[in-house]
Order: sequence, then structure tokens, then C-alpha cells
Amino acid sequence: MNYIKKEVKQGISLHNINTNKFKTNLYAVFLATPLNRENVTKNALLTAVLRRGTKNIKSQDLISKKLEEMYGASFDCGIEKTGDNQIIKFYLETINEAFLPEKDELDKKCIELLFDIILNPLVENDGFKPEYVESEKEKLKQIIEGKIDNKRAYSFERCIEEMFKNEPYGLYKFGYVEDLDKITPQNLYEHYQELIKKCKIDIFVSGNLKENDMNSLIENNAEIKRLEARAPEYIENKENSDKIPVRKENIVEEKMQVGQGNLVIGLSSNSQIENEKFVMSVYNAILGGGANSKLFQNVREKNSLAYTAGSTFRRQKNTIFIRCGIEIENYQKALDTIKEQIEDIKNGKFTEDDIENAKKLIIASVKGISSEQDTEITYYYGQELSDTFTTIEDYVTKINNVTKENIEEVAKEIWINTVYFLRD
Amino acid sequence: MEIKESLKLKEKEYIEKLDNGMTVIIIPKPELDKKYVIWGTHFGSIDNRFIMPNSGEEVFIPDGVAHFLEHKMFEQPNGTNSLDTLMALGLDANAYTTNDHTAYLFECTDHFYEGLDELMDYVQHPYFTDENVEKEKGIIAQEIKMYDDEPGWRLYMNAMDCMYKKNPIKIDIAGSVESISKITPDVLYKCYNTFYNPSNMIMVVCGNFNPEEILGEIKKRLLPHEQQGEIKRIYPDKEKEINKPYIEMEMEVSLPLFAIGFKDIEDNSNKEELVKKHIAIEILLNMIIGKSSDEYKELYEKGMLLAEPDMDYEFSDEYAHIVISGQSNNPDKVKEKVEEAINNFIENGLDDEHFNRIRKKVYGDYVVEYNNVGNIARMFLSDKMKGINSFDYIEKYNEVTKEYTETVLKNVFKKDNMVMSVIKGKK
Repeated sequence: MNYIKKEVKQGISLHNINTNKFKTNLYAVFLATPLNRENVTKNALLTAVLRRGTKNIKSQDLISKKLEEMYGASFDCGIEKTGDNQIIKFYLETINEAFLPEKDELDKKCIELLFDIILNPLVENDGFKPEYVESEKEKLKQIIEGKIDNKRAYSFERCIEEMFKNEPYGLYKFGYVEDLDKITPQNLYEHYQELIKKCKIDIFVSGNLKENDMNSLIENNAEIKRLEARAPEYIENKENSDKIPVRKENIVEEKMQVGQGNLVIGLSSNSQIENEKFVMSVYNAILGGGANSKLFQNVREKNSLAYTAGSTFRRQKNTIFIRCGIEIENYQKALDTIKEQIEDIKNGKFTEDDIENAKKLIIASVKGISSEQDTEITYYYGQELSDTFTTIEDYVTKINNVTKENIEEVAKEIWINTVYFLRD
Repeated sequence: MEIKESLKLKEKEYIEKLDNGMTVIIIPKPELDKKYVIWGTHFGSIDNRFIMPNSGEEVFIPDGVAHFLEHKMFEQPNGTNSLDTLMALGLDANAYTTNDHTAYLFECTDHFYEGLDELMDYVQHPYFTDENVEKEKGIIAQEIKMYDDEPGWRLYMNAMDCMYKKNPIKIDIAGSVESISKITPDVLYKCYNTFYNPSNMIMVVCGNFNPEEILGEIKKRLLPHEQQGEIKRIYPDKEKEINKPYIEMEMEVSLPLFAIGFKDIEDNSNKEELVKKHIAIEILLNMIIGKSSDEYKELYEKGMLLAEPDMDYEFSDEYAHIVISGQSNNPDKVKEKVEEAINNFIENGLDDEHFNRIRKKVYGDYVVEYNNVGNIARMFLSDKMKGINSFDYIEKYNEVTKEYTETVLKNVFKKDNMVMSVIKGKK
């Protein structure tokens, strides 16, 4: 395997992915912390404030200039919701030194810059620079309010929010406008110090790592040396989901000026079967995974009800979301057609071919993981956060081992939790 | 086979023009697991009037036919759909239509040749009936409505409306619900027979291939075809002037969207020059409003920009323009700043340090394009459709000097050719 993990200190790990497939080296640092209403907005704001400046490089345009000088190395950071954790992510991508027109110590510069941004922020009077905090608050407010701009994404987000009401996973990853007012440069900095002390830290390096000794560059970095060992606070993702009492589906309708209706349906599972996530994954592919899926065939091809019709499996929550863009007056017909497909699978009305197609679809995407640098990192990080470690090879085997009986068993425990419809 | 090599990128390109007129481009990537094939025809939404080479008949087609044809190519006489067949093999298959070409593709790790069988079979076997054409109208109408609700797409189309009075770039790629209602099997067959002749097509493959071997496999799967004469495409005359400098529309958005356009009216027929010009324009756009620019810094700090705007130079033989787009609570101010930066650069020339730094960044951006089979194949196809070899962006890089870039600045970033499209929220 080209993947090696090493513990730097308790709660801080270094992951190497050695690969010759790319022209670039990619560095990623992930900070994991439990998702909760109190901190969700702070974490989103924090990410934005950190990229504004460090003690050494005091403003964003100076950081940008530095990156341009490094052949347009690209720095990015963001917020992700992974199960019940909020993940603060930092990426730095640079050309591998082998492809430079002239020699340059890019790896060394990248590592210094990345940890400078994350661990050495610009501080004034025991707080972040007030100007930066204020301006990022305004921007975050615009991002949160901008949720409505993309109707498809908005509908998806709203369905999740309804389905996981009063639970961490129902929180919006960018937080809430009303929580922004309470944040000051000082309390945000205090929160940052707490976070850095307690969160789970994972550092990934992917690329052709032969040229330089990345691990020693990272371990000897002054900022890394200053970090203390910790028993990290984060939520481990479990194989099976918690049972929720089955109830009548919750129907939510929202009106906005749209030409097309967006239908999103959230499915829960109460199954406690072994390897549940793999069975669910095959179930999802049969239901709405691709052009051969029941949804695509019946909602789109047979009944011309939609241009988009499919489903997504959210692995960490063992939840499936069905998503369709439909003519508003066709709502009932589409809903009936979708329910029919769910019933059909429950009643075993699917063939060995359907299973084979579904498995091929999943396996093809799993085999493609190592062809994209960030996808490969995300895969190994997903393993890092879960209670079991599955190699890519084992993943394929487990998908292949799923049987028709397994799928039927899971299908019986799947129920419609929430129906969300955005219409005019 | 002709072989081109980029020493800087450590990549090779094999090019073969077949007897039937089709061009095959192979980019071997032995280190990768993924394989990608894309087959394109030089037929896009702008090709709405043409003379059929064999009959000499002039044809004028409804808007959205190229895209409609793309949807219908998957349908087979035995009732199956080739997209389903490809997906059933575990391949990631798709198709798309742009202004100037239509492409059919798939990506995979296994079962490549089974996929190639299906791809080359369905693209060479059209099957259009009254019934299957009617059914598609419902699906495409939903797709059109999906785009109609997308503020970003409306913004772009409005910017085109500002820059051009009569130019086929103004045609919505999918057409309109009204225009597609006029599409018949006969129209589709006429377009198919004209544009899906191998002499009007290019195939690009990228992945772990032996060039000779894959070329043989492709040839084996091609049906015999007479090379047809040149397709005469009829477009409206090019206009030097813009249509109107400003357009505004209201939609449900939280923050206004803006697109600033510069219509490029220069003669771009020399393709090697065009590559240099493209590189110079990318450098200039970064210098004007890119992340490290003074203008971006000011707008960002005032909260008038949330992120670096998207910057693009789009061109074909029929149109060429720059689009700078993003979201801002004050689009007028963004436009003012862009103009200020241009004037400043024109008056004082480009700063050496700034120019060289951005030049390095642009070099890096080109290298990163070569990270993934799909990216590489799509790039070679789309460049080749425009008569460009993708390696030239690296090869010509050194010829783009500061002085050359300053000339491009003066010729392209002209106030008279500048437009703005804005989408505002409903009050």
C-alpha cells in the first residue's frame, strides 16, 4: 500500500500517500471537532479569519503574492460536516519540483506557509485583528444568506435540516446569522486556542515524495513542535446507525419564485445488519445511483417527469436522499412513482442484473479513488474518523459480498423520514 | 502517426488523420488507472444554418438541435439506451453540447474496450422516430427550466446579449421550450448526416494505452464512410460594435451577480498568435482583478467582493470575448475599479515584479491541467476544435513578454467594447 500513517504526538497524525500519478504535491490539514450550535458559526468564521494574515505575513494580498511566486500554488480552506463532526480543512497544492522551469524549494516553502496560516495567526490585544473579524463576519453573513441562490443545493440542505432537527447533523455548516453578533475578536481567539488544544489534527501529504523528506520537514516545523499532545475530542463514525422510532413521513413544503419544483426525500434505516454501509451503498445504487437505477428509469425515462432524478447515500449518517427536479404540477405523480420504486425493492422486485450494475458502478468509483489526489486523501481521512479501517481492496470485496438477501433485509428497515418540496 | 512532445510537461501526444478524414489524438498516461475517451463532432449550438455538402441544400434549423441530437443519440432501435448500457459496465459515461461542439465520452478503470464498442456503435447509429423525439421534448423542457432558474446562466446569456446584436452565441444551447417543439426526426437526420461524418469529428483518448494498438482498435470499429466535402456554415456578419453597454434583471438572489465583458473584435485567425494572446489575457486578468491585485484587496476589504471573480477568455471563429463575473453588493464599484486598473496599466505600463510573478502563476495553472485523464482529453478536444494544440500553451509561454502583453492590453481591454450584465435581488 502506498499509504503510511504515523503519530506525531497523541491526537496528531501524519499521513503519507506516495504516488507518481500527478504533476502536483497536495498538503491537507484537517481539524476535527464535535458539531454543535454553540461553535458551528465560530468555526466557520475562524476559518475565514485565519486566511487573512499571520504574524509573519500580515495580510491576504501578501499571502496571495507569496503563492503566486510559488508558481501559483493554491491555498484553500473550508468547512465540512462529516457525520457529527465539523471539519476545518486547509489545502495547499503545488507543482511537483520535477516540473518547474527552474529549481526552487517549493516543498519547504509550502510547509512553512501552511502551518504559519493555521498555527501562527495575527493577534492584537489578545484577539484576532478586529478589522479582519468584522469584514469576515459580513462575508459569512452573505454566504449564509446566499444559501437560497442555488435552488437545488438549497432544497437538499433544507431537507437535511428538517430531517435532523435539533440534532448536530441538522446544523448548517456555515452557521447562523443571529449567532454572528455575539462573536468578538477576543472570544473568537479564545475559542481558537481551545480548539487547537483539543481537536483531532490530521496532516496529509500526497505526491511523489521521494525528492524531499517531507516528514522531517513537517515534524521539525516550529509550529508543529509547539503543539501539545491531546486526547482528541471528536465523534467516531459507527458502522450501524442508531434506531429511530418509525413515524409517519414529515412533509415540508416551501414556496419561492421558481419555475421548477425541487423534490428531496430523506430515507432513514433502522437496520443493524453487519456491513450495513456496504449494503446500503448497493441499495442506493439500485434505487438512484445512475442511468440504470430505478429512479432514473421510471421517473425520468418512462414518465418524462424530470431531467434530474437520483439518490445520494450519506455514509456517515446511513441516510439516503432522493433528489428530483420536476414540473410543479407533477408533484403527486412523481412522489407516487418514487414510492413505488421503494416498495418494489422492499418486495424483492429487482434482478441480479440490477445488483451487478449497482456493484459495478460503486466499484468503478472506488477504483478511481487513487486517480484524484484530494479524493484519495478524503478516503483515508474518512477511514481515520470511523471505527473501522477499510483498505480500498477490502472495500471492493465487501461490496462484492453483498447479496440479494442482504439488500432485502435492509430494504425492509428503510422508511421515508422526510419529504421536502420547493415550489412556487 | 505524428508525435509531439512537451519536454517541460514530460508528456507526449500522438496524432493521426485517418483516411476518412477523422482525427485521432492519443495521450498515453501509463502511470494512471483511469482511461478516458471522448468523441466530438464540430457541431454546436451556433451552427444553425448550413449547406449540406452532398445535396447542396441549405438548411435552417430551430435553436437547440445540436443539444437535442446529443440526447437522442443514446436511443437504440431495440429499445435500449446506450447510456444505460455503458453505466451497466460500470463506466462513467456522459455527453455534452457547447457552442461549437458536441462530445460523447466515458471514463473507466476496467472494461474499456467493451465501452468503446458501445460508444462507437451508438454514435454511428442514429435512431430517431416521431415517438422518441416527442418524448424527449418533455425531458429537455425540464432541463431548460432548470437553467432558467439559475441566476449564473441568465447573467451570462445577458452579457452575450450586451456584446452581440446578431451572433449565434446568443442562442441558448438547449434552445427554448418553443424552439424545441419544432424539432422533427427529419431535422435530426439532416444534421446527423452532415455533422457526424468522420471528417467533421475528432476522437481523443487518454490513459494507459499503447498508441499503435489503440489506434488499430479505433479503426476496427469505424464504419466505412465516404469523405464528404466541406460543410459550409452560414453565420451573420461580424459586427464591430457592442449591442448595449448595460443590462439588468431581477431574480431571487441574496446578493447581486455581475458579469463584465470585453468584446474582442481583432482578427484571431492566426492560431499560434491566438494562444499567445490567450496567455497574455490570462496574465492581464490576474493583474487587474486577481487575488493579489490592489483592486481586489480594496474591494474585498470593503466587503464588495466575497471571492476572486471568475475570469475567462472565450473564443471561436465567430466570437471572442472576456468575461469577469462574480457576486457583489456594488457591481458599479467593481466595474469602476476594473476600469481604473486598466487605465493605470495603459498609462504607466506593467510593473516588472508584478508581471513576472503572475507569469509564474499562469505557468503553474497550465501544468496542473495535466493531473487527470478527463481534463486532458477534454482540453485537447476543445482546443483542437478551435484549431489549437494544447501543448502550445506551455511552448509559447516564453514568447509572452511584458511588451507583448502591454500591446494586447491596449488592443483588447477597450472602454468602447466593455459591457456589464447584472442580476439583482427582488425587492
